[in-house]
Amino acid sequence: MMASSGFLSTLVSIALTFTIIAPVVLIILWIKDWIRGQLW
Amino acid sequence: MNIVNSAVLDASTGWIILAVFSVVWIFLGWFWGRKAKQLDDFMLAGRNVGMALGIATAMATWVTSNTTMAAPQLALQLGIWGMLGYSLGSVGLMLFAPLAKRIQLLMPAGYTSGDFIRLRYGKFAWRVFLLISLFYGLGWLISLGMAGGVLIHALTGIDYQIGMTVILTICVVYTLLGGLRAVIGTDFLQTIIILVGIVILAWLVIDNVGFEPMHKAVLQERPELLNLLMPAAIMFLFNNLLFGVGEIFHSNVWWSRAFAFRQGVGFKAFLLAGLFWIPIPIVAGFIALATPALGLNVPAADMVGPMVAAKLLGFGGAVLVFIVVFSALASSLDSLLAATSDLVLQDIYRGHFRPQATKDELRKAVRWIVVLLGVITWLLCLPRLTTLASLLYFTGAFVASTIWPIIAGLYSKQASSTGASIAMLTGTVIGLWSYFAIGFYVAALISAVVSMVIVLFSMWYKPDNFEWNILNEQIKEKVS
Repeated sequence: MMASSGFLSTLVSIALTFTIIAPVVLIILWIKDWIRGQLW
Repeated sequence: MNIVNSAVLDASTGWIILAVFSVVWIFLGWFWGRKAKQLDDFMLAGRNVGMALGIATAMATWVTSNTTMAAPQLALQLGIWGMLGYSLGSVGLMLFAPLAKRIQLLMPAGYTSGDFIRLRYGKFAWRVFLLISLFYGLGWLISLGMAGGVLIHALTGIDYQIGMTVILTICVVYTLLGGLRAVIGTDFLQTIIILVGIVILAWLVIDNVGFEPMHKAVLQERPELLNLLMPAAIMFLFNNLLFGVGEIFHSNVWWSRAFAFRQGVGFKAFLLAGLFWIPIPIVAGFIALATPALGLNVPAADMVGPMVAAKLLGFGGAVLVFIVVFSALASSLDSLLAATSDLVLQDIYRGHFRPQATKDELRKAVRWIVVLLGVITWLLCLPRLTTLASLLYFTGAFVASTIWPIIAGLYSKQASSTGASIAMLTGTVIGLWSYFAIGFYVAALISAVVSMVIVLFSMWYKPDNFEWNILNEQIKEKVS
């Protein structure tokens, strides 16, 4: 059973979307921790 | 192998990037670590790390050369399942989330994973575990050091030995200056750089090559890479899952974070880090599938990632991939240096030679140990012995044998010292045999299964009745 071009593009697109979201979430959490004085 | 002529960056550009990042990481290491006067500050960042830094350090440490360089390598060797199998490495991070919570509950004053094994299973199992853990730690350090040298050579033509020496030296210096506080602080920035970098690279690969031409070329030249029923790749998928779980469950890199995170942070931080980690090997790995479309001749599989980026993106791409992989290497090397030196300090130096050592003495000793580990790694990296992935998977047989002794030890009173010791030894031996007799992709799988059977059998045949408070009270006595 061979992966189609559509399968490949869907897989990579989903992965790429989550990889774009991750740094945004991290920066928001950092700001939140920093404001509360809870970075470390 | 000499790829100096095909290097995209000239050596002087390479040196400039190395110099800039060396100054930044070392300055930040000093800045964040300057208040680390106490032993707990140096070893465990004051045991008060918050959510943002917690997630980032778990992600950054798990995104290593193995992800940024070996993920494309595995995509080229095992196709789609190679990428997916690599992304299952995140299961280990997510499964460690409840363990981190349990570790903090049972051992709020603990220092290392060795502390747990010693108190839970006694001295023999502790020594077996230390052998496994230190072998793995050194194997990972060598793999990272070699990856650094390979990357710098591939992209700039700077000699492998010189590049490897520079990366190791930078990490040793800033870990020395700031301990775990420096490691966790720099990990946050390195995570952001890695994520942004691989998004840009993947985006440009899609834009320059496109899915359709990429798929068509792979189908013509390497159709097996698109085969969703490739047996070796499916075995790899499960093997990698168990390898990742074994690496994380036993390694002091992760235990030291469980001890360092503020109460209530560990569970969420590891869970989110795992979720955010899932797509990274796919995004980093799929660019290797562009090699047939590009007509790229890859001289060594572990160089495929940097070579594709350099070929496609020219100077800017080469600079970007250099910075991304440099950050990935540094974020893991520093963590491993810090955690392994903690293990050597607490379990070898203090545990075996200087049980009465004061905290002042230990604070000085830990710095010497960081330097010593750096030197040993450097010596072992000098000859480039094997490809990165095969070296790494060699340790799979060792670490997977610790999964069940650790789970059972944390959650069941019935797990016994004898069962844990036999499980670790037998799992390792049979896992190693399968590595050579069958292939690298089954070593962790077989080791974990053998170890599980022995642990479960021993719990049924001769159950122990462990007292949980021993884990906390004996450490408290020792610390005070």
